[in-house]
Amino acid sequence: MTIALADKPGQLLKALEPIAKNGGNIISIVHERDKLVEGYVPVSVVVDFPLRENYMNAVNELKNLGIVVVTSSEIVEKVRLTLILTGNVNLLEVVKSKIRDAEIISLETSTIKPNEVSFKLEAEVSVHGVHKFVEELKKIASEQDALLILPFHL
Amino acid sequence: MRLLIVGFGFLGKSLVKAIRNKIDLLKSVDHNFKIIGVADSKGYLYSSKGLIIEELSALNRLSEHKEYKTSETAAELISKDLCDIIVEVTPTNIINGEPGLTHITQALKNGIHVVTANKGPLVLAFKQLTSLAEKNGCDLLYEGTVAGAIPVFSLVRECLQGDKIVKLSGILNGTVNYILSRMHFEEISFEIALKEAQERGIAEKDPSYDIDGIDAACKVVILANAIMGRNAKLQDVERIGIRGITQEAISLAKKANYAIKLIGTVDKKLEVSPKLVPINHPLCVHGTLNAIHIQTDLAKEITLVGHGAGKETVSAILNDLITILKKRSPEDKNP
Repeated sequence: MTIALADKPGQLLKALEPIAKNGGNIISIVHERDKLVEGYVPVSVVVDFPLRENYMNAVNELKNLGIVVVTSSEIVEKVRLTLILTGNVNLLEVVKSKIRDAEIISLETSTIKPNEVSFKLEAEVSVHGVHKFVEELKKIASEQDALLILPFHL
Repeated sequence: MRLLIVGFGFLGKSLVKAIRNKIDLLKSVDHNFKIIGVADSKGYLYSSKGLIIEELSALNRLSEHKEYKTSETAAELISKDLCDIIVEVTPTNIINGEPGLTHITQALKNGIHVVTANKGPLVLAFKQLTSLAEKNGCDLLYEGTVAGAIPVFSLVRECLQGDKIVKLSGILNGTVNYILSRMHFEEISFEIALKEAQERGIAEKDPSYDIDGIDAACKVVILANAIMGRNAKLQDVERIGIRGITQEAISLAKKANYAIKLIGTVDKKLEVSPKLVPINHPLCVHGTLNAIHIQTDLAKEITLVGHGAGKETVSAILNDLITILKKRSPEDKNP
């Protein structure tokens, strides 16, 4: 994010407080002093937050402190997961179900026999969303009496 | 030290042969070492001077020996203070642990050291048995109960003393690994792979203990209690077996460079379930091999691969025996 700080002592510390309070781990800080405008300096801060919620809370608290957040963007760390569902699987239900924080990259099925289909799903999931993603899939598998085969590290 | 072997089935017989072959090694550690008795479910052989090991190793049944007696049970022999160590290798019973649980309990109460490959007593009463051993100042070693010849307990005890074990996972059942490997490489169905395993004597007539993950779950319990200091029971393990694995699922996994393996996991929770293992991961072993993957805070990751159940388990039993002989007979190192 880029924040506009008044060019006077103590401003950076004031800005870092809500970031730290919300679990933010500072990766880098760049003062762009050459871009001083009307007594304000843009400061680019790269922060690693544990959850999106923490990031949103930090941004709101900065705004409440009167610190202008000029730009902010999220880069969500993701992992690619491969899993297999087999058994009495209703593919349409699986695809239709809203699996949070996950993007389905590919879907491959075996020859469909009645009540016995196997399919492989590849998904990109945010690192912090993996647990919820797995729990939702387990719930779907249980409801459909299917076998869910996850990667061994999960 | 005086050894009593309790159980003269496959493992008991294999152990006697191994002791015969390694007697010089054992005597170099303890020159008074001898087998004073061997018991099976119906009787026993006993000699306070030590049984003749060549004669023992030639027996198919203890009852073939002219000195075979049926007047007492193994438990009664143990209670008579005739031995210093027992090796308990009677068949595993996870319902009530018997007769192994009685043998081990009786031995520990009498201050007799115990080496065992019998899972049942440890699954049902781990904490009670280890507390009893500690209270009576004797050793209870059980390397042969999990993954046969793979020395996981010895490794953690001797070589990872400064590490915190974070997670354990592994292929803990050779029968299931054989079936899944055949499905993976030969592209055959589960039913055909199981039938083949039964014909080869790798799977039992009733294979449910293996294919439903019960055997692997027993080993997860022992690993959790022994290495992670838990107080787990069999019902604490979330268990899914391999009955639902289809050839199609195996093929889909194979195309994506995975193999489906039945993995036992000791983590925040205890679990046995089919998992996707990358084909080039050190844990991804095939045939009847077992593998254990240890994650620690310092060493990071260690994978052990070896033979599971079978006569290779004798290696684990013998190592436990020698460990006790070394610890408890230091004066015999230089006869």
